[in-house]
Amino acid sequence: MVFDMFDFTLIDQSRRPWRLSDSLDAAAMLVFLRGDW
Amino acid sequence: MRHQQLLEAGARIFAISIDPPERNAAMVEKLSLPFPYLSDPDRSQAITPYGVADEIDERRIARPAIVVVTPAREEAFRFVSRDFADRMPEDEVVAAVHQLNLAPTTQEPPERGPAEPGPRSLSTAMLRIYFRGARFAAQAMGLRHGHHAAEIKADSKAYVAEMDRYTAALDWLRGPGN
Repeated sequence: MVFDMFDFTLIDQSRRPWRLSDSLDAAAMLVFLRGDW
Repeated sequence: MRHQQLLEAGARIFAISIDPPERNAAMVEKLSLPFPYLSDPDRSQAITPYGVADEIDERRIARPAIVVVTPAREEAFRFVSRDFADRMPEDEVVAAVHQLNLAPTTQEPPERGPAEPGPRSLSTAMLRIYFRGARFAAQAMGLRHGHHAAEIKADSKAYVAEMDRYTAALDWLRGPGN
């Protein structure tokens, strides 16, 4: 299966899965942060 | 970030880091973030595929970066910082989203999950002191070494301005309704 960078899934702060493609009815601004804080 | 302006221009914000959901929940709570904070612990889903992994830092974290993805699944904007001191280009990203001519959108407040701050997490009161110290150090380095190169002077000035912006954000957090 080819990895699709516009269809990845992550876990949100309430432990729910979040999928990028489900949010693309609008634009998505992905803000990458360093973390480890 | 200019959340309301971005929503009006048709974009929602999603933050991503390596941290686990409990730490992200603590950050959402502490900073009253109005958007979800997502976890990519092994960097395999977003941080590495989007080319924003910090390959030098031994903690395998992300570099601060912004990528705007359009409904047509195209990148409309990309900024990857040199290091933690770079300023995020807020005006530029808002302008880039406006150019997409999208309908205004909305974003539900993020659901709160069980929160557990990391061991190095600072309260907002401590952050204020941290920013003041960082500002003072950047200003001192600029005054002491700025005459060697215009770039040093400019970096000092930019870092001082960044600390002022962070402090203003803490003032906003402390204000009525927050």
